[in-house]
Amino acid sequence: MLTYIIRRLLGMIPMLIAISIFTFLMMHLAPGNAIDAMINPRIKDLAQVQKTLEAQNGLNLPLPVQYLHWLWNVLHGNFGFSFSQHQPVSSLLGPAIENTLILAILAEILILIIGIPIGIMQARRPYSRLDYSTSIVSFVFFSVPYFIFAIFLMYVFAIHWPIFPAQNAVGTGPNSGSLIDHIYHALLPAISIALTSNTVYSRYTRGSMLDVSRQDYVRTARAKGLQEGQVFRKHVFRNAMVPIVTQFGFDIGGLIGGAVILEGLFTYQGMGLLTINAVSQRDYPVIMATTLLIAIGVLIGNLVADIMYAIVDPRVQYN
Amino acid sequence: MAEPLLAIRDLRTYFISKNTEVRAVDGIDIDVQKGQILCVVGESGSGKSMTSLSIMRLVPKPRGKIVSGEIVLDGQDLLKLTEQQMTGVRGNDISMIFQEPMTALNPVLSIGDQITEVILRHRKITKKEALHRAVEMLKFVGVPRAEQIVREYPHQLSGGLRQRVMIAMAMVCEPKLLLADEPTTALDVTIQAQVLELMRKMRDEFGTSIILITHDLGVVAEMADHVVVMYAGQVVESVNADELFEQPLHPYTKALLQSIPSIDADHEVLYSIPGTVPDAASFPAGCRFAERCPLAQPSCFEKAQALREVRPGHLVRCDLVEEGGV
Repeated sequence: MLTYIIRRLLGMIPMLIAISIFTFLMMHLAPGNAIDAMINPRIKDLAQVQKTLEAQNGLNLPLPVQYLHWLWNVLHGNFGFSFSQHQPVSSLLGPAIENTLILAILAEILILIIGIPIGIMQARRPYSRLDYSTSIVSFVFFSVPYFIFAIFLMYVFAIHWPIFPAQNAVGTGPNSGSLIDHIYHALLPAISIALTSNTVYSRYTRGSMLDVSRQDYVRTARAKGLQEGQVFRKHVFRNAMVPIVTQFGFDIGGLIGGAVILEGLFTYQGMGLLTINAVSQRDYPVIMATTLLIAIGVLIGNLVADIMYAIVDPRVQYN
Repeated sequence: MAEPLLAIRDLRTYFISKNTEVRAVDGIDIDVQKGQILCVVGESGSGKSMTSLSIMRLVPKPRGKIVSGEIVLDGQDLLKLTEQQMTGVRGNDISMIFQEPMTALNPVLSIGDQITEVILRHRKITKKEALHRAVEMLKFVGVPRAEQIVREYPHQLSGGLRQRVMIAMAMVCEPKLLLADEPTTALDVTIQAQVLELMRKMRDEFGTSIILITHDLGVVAEMADHVVVMYAGQVVESVNADELFEQPLHPYTKALLQSIPSIDADHEVLYSIPGTVPDAASFPAGCRFAERCPLAQPSCFEKAQALREVRPGHLVRCDLVEEGGV
């Protein structure tokens, strides 16, 4: 297992390089550059100033050279300097990752603790009135974009009853920056995500459990005299978890990318907001860094999915 | 004859949906004596498997339903027990093994887990003792390296071994009755013989009665003390095994016996019964076998046949068979 993980991690390196080259080219193919975004087009000697700034930032060199510079620096832990925010990229990334991780983990926990029990409940009494009514509600919630919930929640719990903050990832005051403060700020966006996304898990759980409950070994479990609850907990649920755990791994990867619209709405300083701002300002070093991190997140998420798969299903072995 | 261990009286198991009523088991009487191996024979769709699932009260819900009848085990009507009481009977007084050892074991639980689970459900002992008992039982059913096997998973075992594990699991609480639903159909011929031998050993060792469901008359000849032939949800013939092969009386039984291939037979074409089992949703009014019966008379199509004792201990559902049996 350990050799498998190491092999997978090493296999990520060429993939990451390919992704970074692709991002790099795409950025430079787009019209305009960071200098255009930085300077006022009405100043005197526009062309001269542009040239000087480009030279200062190394943007006049051939693209392959620029890329190799970037790669060399990254390998030395240096992600460069943000054009638009005038700070080292690494000092922007740190808080953004932290905030996104908190939001992602909180959202994922909410998704699981809402989605899976609903799915189990539906699978225990399939085609019942309870099953149909909860399914309809789930689908309605799933069809609504999460920013609608975000606006609604913001109105109710931040403005009408000001219990939760409507903005920012951290507050001010004595608790500022503590975990509790982080969670407090991430709660409304996390609930917005969970309200729609839990449907994925409730449907998966329901379908998977119904599938499993038709299997021969479930009949065997009943023939052994196990109580119905035990049959479901030990035999149905364990097997039904196999596809769900895989989905969970993929989700983890996806959530690292941040929820762009949601972070925008709550001005939540996560990866999504950082990336979208950087793109609009052609802030190459920041774009490269966030893309790389998001790619790493997705790849690690897939690896986690595969590892979890092997843990829940003894038939899966990596050798 | 002594009081039977299991007495099934007029058992009816139907599958009911909005417009149809499928009579899978339609008024069955079966007696199983202590220590007896009783074979239930019949084609697919004759209601054999539903009979065994009815005994376990594991008929697929919500459509399948035991409509009426009695299933008396040791003087207690199983159909009158609550679901909770019934779970105490399953795996303890009555056990069951299934046709497909490949799918009947849970792929994500270890063998040891799956066997000890039965013991822990029905006996008040510790996990360690239960595991010890599981290993003992695996050794008894001839599983090699039993100490390691308990830590392994079903996919690591061969089909024959899995069926041995199933038998160990079924027998570990020493039930009074073992239901085996075509336990050897999915196995190689050599393994089949071993598994049948093992089941006989179980009967001899624990005095367990066995209901063996099969469509393989070879298995019947090998194993049965008593044979019940089923057709279209009903018992058509019930007799001890020797007499069945010497003097089958029902036309269906005769046809079944004719369709066994024989090594020294002259004719090359194997006999097969024409037609198929009638649709269980709309049985004919008369004899259910009449359509396929070579001896059918016009009266057979009109009058439902009753199961009669034509000779001592030999029951037949055919009016053409005369008293004394011809």
